[in-house]
Amino acid sequence: MKAVILAAGEGKRLRPLTETMPKVMLPVANKPVLEYVFDAVRNSGISEIIVVVGYKKEVIMEYFREYDGIDIIYVVQDKQLGTAHALLQAKKHVIDSFIVLSGDNIIDQKSISKLIHNESEYSMLVKENLHPSKYGVVTAEKNILKELVEKPPNETLKRFVSTGIYKFSTSIFDTIENATSQGDYSLSSVIQSTVEQGKKISTIFADLWMDIAYPWDFLSINETMAHSAPSSLGGSIEKGVTLKGKVSIGNNTNIYSGCYIVGPVIIGDGCEIGPNACIFPSTAIGNNSVIHPFSEIRNSIIMNDVHIGSNSFISHSIVGRGNTIGHNFSSMMGKSTMEVEGEFKKLDDIGAIVGADCSIGSHVVIDPGKIIGTRCTLGSMNRIIKNVSSNSKVM
Amino acid sequence: MCGIIGYTGHRAANDVLIESLKRLEYRGYDSAGIGIIGEKLEIFKEIGEISMLQHSIPKIKGNLGIGHTRWATHGKVSKENAHPHLSCDKKIAVVHNGIIENFKTLREELENKGHIFTSQTDSEVIIHLIEEEYKGNLEQAVSSSLKKIQGSYAIVVICEDEPEKLVGARNESPLVIGVGDNENFFASDVTALLKFTNRVIYLDDGEHCVITKNSIHIFDRNNAEIQKKENTIEWDFNDAKKSGFPHFMLKEIYEQPNSVQRVLRGRVLEINRSIELPDNVERLLSDTIDSIHIVACGTSLYSGMVGKYLIEKITNIPVFVEMSSEYRYFGTKDRSSLVVFITQSGETADTLGALKKAKNAGNRTLVVTNVIGSTATRIADGFVLTQCGPEIGVAATKTFTSQMLSLLLIALKIATMRKELGSDEIYSYIRNLKDIPRQIRQVLAQSDKIADMAKHLKDATSVFFIGRGVNYPLSLEGALKLKEISYIHAEGFAAGEIKHGPFALLTKDTPVVAIVTRDATYDKIISNIGEIKARGPQIIAIADEKDTEIEKHADFVLRFPTNTGLLSCVSITVILQLLAYHVAKLRGCSIDKPRNLAKSVTVE
Repeated sequence: MKAVILAAGEGKRLRPLTETMPKVMLPVANKPVLEYVFDAVRNSGISEIIVVVGYKKEVIMEYFREYDGIDIIYVVQDKQLGTAHALLQAKKHVIDSFIVLSGDNIIDQKSISKLIHNESEYSMLVKENLHPSKYGVVTAEKNILKELVEKPPNETLKRFVSTGIYKFSTSIFDTIENATSQGDYSLSSVIQSTVEQGKKISTIFADLWMDIAYPWDFLSINETMAHSAPSSLGGSIEKGVTLKGKVSIGNNTNIYSGCYIVGPVIIGDGCEIGPNACIFPSTAIGNNSVIHPFSEIRNSIIMNDVHIGSNSFISHSIVGRGNTIGHNFSSMMGKSTMEVEGEFKKLDDIGAIVGADCSIGSHVVIDPGKIIGTRCTLGSMNRIIKNVSSNSKVM
Repeated sequence: MCGIIGYTGHRAANDVLIESLKRLEYRGYDSAGIGIIGEKLEIFKEIGEISMLQHSIPKIKGNLGIGHTRWATHGKVSKENAHPHLSCDKKIAVVHNGIIENFKTLREELENKGHIFTSQTDSEVIIHLIEEEYKGNLEQAVSSSLKKIQGSYAIVVICEDEPEKLVGARNESPLVIGVGDNENFFASDVTALLKFTNRVIYLDDGEHCVITKNSIHIFDRNNAEIQKKENTIEWDFNDAKKSGFPHFMLKEIYEQPNSVQRVLRGRVLEINRSIELPDNVERLLSDTIDSIHIVACGTSLYSGMVGKYLIEKITNIPVFVEMSSEYRYFGTKDRSSLVVFITQSGETADTLGALKKAKNAGNRTLVVTNVIGSTATRIADGFVLTQCGPEIGVAATKTFTSQMLSLLLIALKIATMRKELGSDEIYSYIRNLKDIPRQIRQVLAQSDKIADMAKHLKDATSVFFIGRGVNYPLSLEGALKLKEISYIHAEGFAAGEIKHGPFALLTKDTPVVAIVTRDATYDKIISNIGEIKARGPQIIAIADEKDTEIEKHADFVLRFPTNTGLLSCVSITVILQLLAYHVAKLRGCSIDKPRNLAKSVTVE
C-alpha cells in the first residue's frame, strides 16, 4: 500500500516561524513534524510515500534526501487551493487502496496499522478532542460515519474530530474531481458528499494524534515528544558535567565543564554548550547551536544554527533557526494574551517567539508572549514590549 | 569517464548490471554494453542512453556478467567501439577504462598472429592478448597479458569456460571490489554499488583480483596473494537520488547550507576558539613551510586560486597555483614547499600524476578531496575531507564551496600554529564562518529573482565575468559554470586586465557580470564598470546587500549578505551557480550531463 502525505501548506498561523520553512518542517524534539509522520508510515510497513509539496518545497526535499527505507515521490501543488486539490495531484501515482495523511499532525504507527488493516474500502481515523470546534466534527453510528461538519459554530457535545487521516480506494478521485470542478477544494466536504451519496466510511479511533495549530502548541508537544525521544550520548562531554534524567546529545557536540543538564533535554549534532550552562526540562536544541557560559535555558525550542551569548536566560520560548543572540539576553516569562490571525489566546507561562535569522544585541529583554519576526535586528540594551514585524530594526 | 561494473551472485546479472550502470550515468558516457554468461557468453551493446540498452536486451538467464559505459577516447562513438570486447573465439570478454599507450604495436603483432580486430579502440588489444595467453586459467592469462601493456587500465574479464569467476585488475584507473553476501562486485566507482552493498575493498595499482560469488582473492604485481582491508562506505544510497529536485545540480546547490556545516562540524570550535584537523595534517602544517603550491584541474583549480588569496592573506605564506596537467611535467619541485592537491573524486588522472611526481621528489603532500579511500588519499602524506557526500551533477557545486572552506581551515590552522592570528581574530573568523550556512539560505531564497536575471543572459552568445582579488577566481568559476552547462561562451577576467585586450571583444551584446565587494578595490571595480558600460554592454552586478552605491552603475543587481571580505566568496559562488543553472534551464540544456563532459576525468 502507498501513502499520500499532504505537505504543501504554509501554516500562516505559525508565522513568523513558517516564513523560512513550511509548517511540516518545524522541529519537535529536534525532528520535523513531517518526519514523525514518515516514521509512523514506514514502520507500519508501507513501502512508498507520495508527498504533495508546494510552499518552500526545497526545504522538505533537501532534508529528506537521506531518509532511509522507503521510496519517496514528490508531486508539486503549485497553488495551495485546498486539501482535496492537493490529494488530486497524487492521482497518477496511486493504484487501488491507499492512505492519506496530513504532514503537520503527529500520529503513531499503531493507529496507522489499524487503519491499513481495516477491511472497508473507505475508513478514517478520529480522535477525541476538548476543543472540537476548531476541527471537522464527526458524528458516527456503530463506527460508520454519518456526518462531518467542518468547524461547527457552536460548541457541541460531539467530541470526536476528524484527524484528516483516511484510507481510500482510487474511486475517491471521481468524487474529488467532481467537487473541484465546482470550486470546492476541501477534503472534508468531499467526505461529506461521499457520505451523502451513501458510501460507507468506517471510523477508527486513533491512539496518539497531535495537531499543531498555534506557536504555543509547539512547546507542549515538544515536551510530550521529548519524553519519548530515543536517548543517546554522542559527542564529547567534559569532566564535571552533570546529566540528570533523559538527556540525548548528538555527534560532534561538545559539552564543557560545569554544565548542569536536567532531562528531558535533546541536543543536536555539532553544538557547543558551556562551560557552566544550565539546561532544564523540556528543552530541544537543534544542530550546530552554541550556548555560551553561564546561560540558562528552560522549556524551550532552540532550532538549528543558533548562537546564544553568555549570561542569557531563555524560558518557555521558541528561538528560530540561525539566530545570533548577544550576551545577557532575557526572555521574560509570564502571563500574556497572544493574538494570531485575529484569534486571541490567554497563556499563563509564555516567553518569546523569535523568527529565523534575527540578530539580537546584548542586554536585550523581550516581554512575555512577544513575537519577533524573521531577520529582525534588535540593538543592544532594548526592552521589547511589542511584537516586532519581520525585517525590521529596533535601534 | 568510462564506468565499469562486474557481478557474480544470486541475483539476475542483467538487472544488477543495468541498475549499476544507471548509477554510473552521471560520469558521462556515449554508449553502453553488457556481457553475461548464462548458457554461453552473450554480449549486448547500444549507443546512447542506458534505457535504450535495457530495452534492447532479451530476458537472459545468468548470474555473472560485466557492464560498461563508454566515453570515447580512441575511435568514434559506435556499437563496434562500445564495450565489452570479445576474443576471436567469442569465449572471453573484457571491459576496460583507461588508455593503452602501446596499443598500436600490440595490435600489429596480434594481427600478424591472425587476430581479427573489430573496433578502433585501444581496449580491444587487451582481449586478444588474453586470448593469446589463455591456457585454461583466466587469472594467469590476465596477469601475463598485463605485463605487456603500457598505460592505464581498470579491467574486468570473464570467460565462458570458467563461468564462475571474474578477474579484475587496475593500474592508474580506479577499480573497487564490492563485498556482498553470496555475491561480489567490481566497479569503477562505489556509487554504482551503493544499492547493493556498502562494503568495499580498494585495489591498488598493479594488483589483480579473482572473485566468485563467495570468494575474493587479491594478488600483487608479483602474483603473490595479499590480504586487504574491507572499508564501509557511510554514504547512503539515497544520497545519490534526486529527492524531488528536477536536477542533481539544483539539489546539490540547495544542499550547501548543510554541506558547509559538514566541513565545519567537529573542526571549528567556537568556545575553544580552535580549529581541529586530523593529527597527521596538523603535523604537516606545523613544519616549516616556506611556500605552498596548490595543484588541481578545472573547478578544483579555481577553488585553489581562491585558496591562494585566503592563505596568503591569513598566513603571509606565498602560494603558487598550478594546473595538474602542467605541474606533473613542468612543475618545479621545491622541497621546502608544501604541495596541496585538490580533487573531488581523488581519482583525477592528471592530479594523481602530479601527486606522484611531487611525492617522489620528496615534497610534503596534502590532498583535499571528497572521497575517503580514493587513490589520492592513499598516496598523500595527509588528507582533508570535504565531507560533502556524493556529487552527481557533472558541474561541481557543493564540492567547490567545501573545497574553498577546507583551504580556509588549513590557512586558519597554520596561522594559529604560527601565532599570526590572535585569539580574538580567530574567534571573529569562526563567528563569520558559522554565519555562512544562513547566508547561503538567504541567497537560495532569492532563487526566483536570479531566475529572472537569467533571462537577460539566455540569448547571449558571449558573457564576461569580472572581479578583483578573491573575486577573480570566482569570476573564472562563474564563467566555467555557465559555459559547461548552458554552452554559452563565457570568460572570467581579473577586472584590471579587461582593458589589456579583452576590451576588443566587448560589444553591446556582451553582458558582463561584475562581482563587487566593499574592499580596498571597490572604487577600482566601479570605474572598470564605468569603462565597460561606456561600450554599451548590460551589467549585472553581484554586490553586498549594504552597498547603496552600486545601483547607479549597474543595470541589474543581485545581492549577497554582508560578511568579512574573504568569506563572502561562498554566498557569491551560490549566486553564480544559480545564475548558470537558470540560464541553462531556460535554454533547455541537459544540465546534469553536459555534452562531451565527464564527472571525474580518470584519463590524462
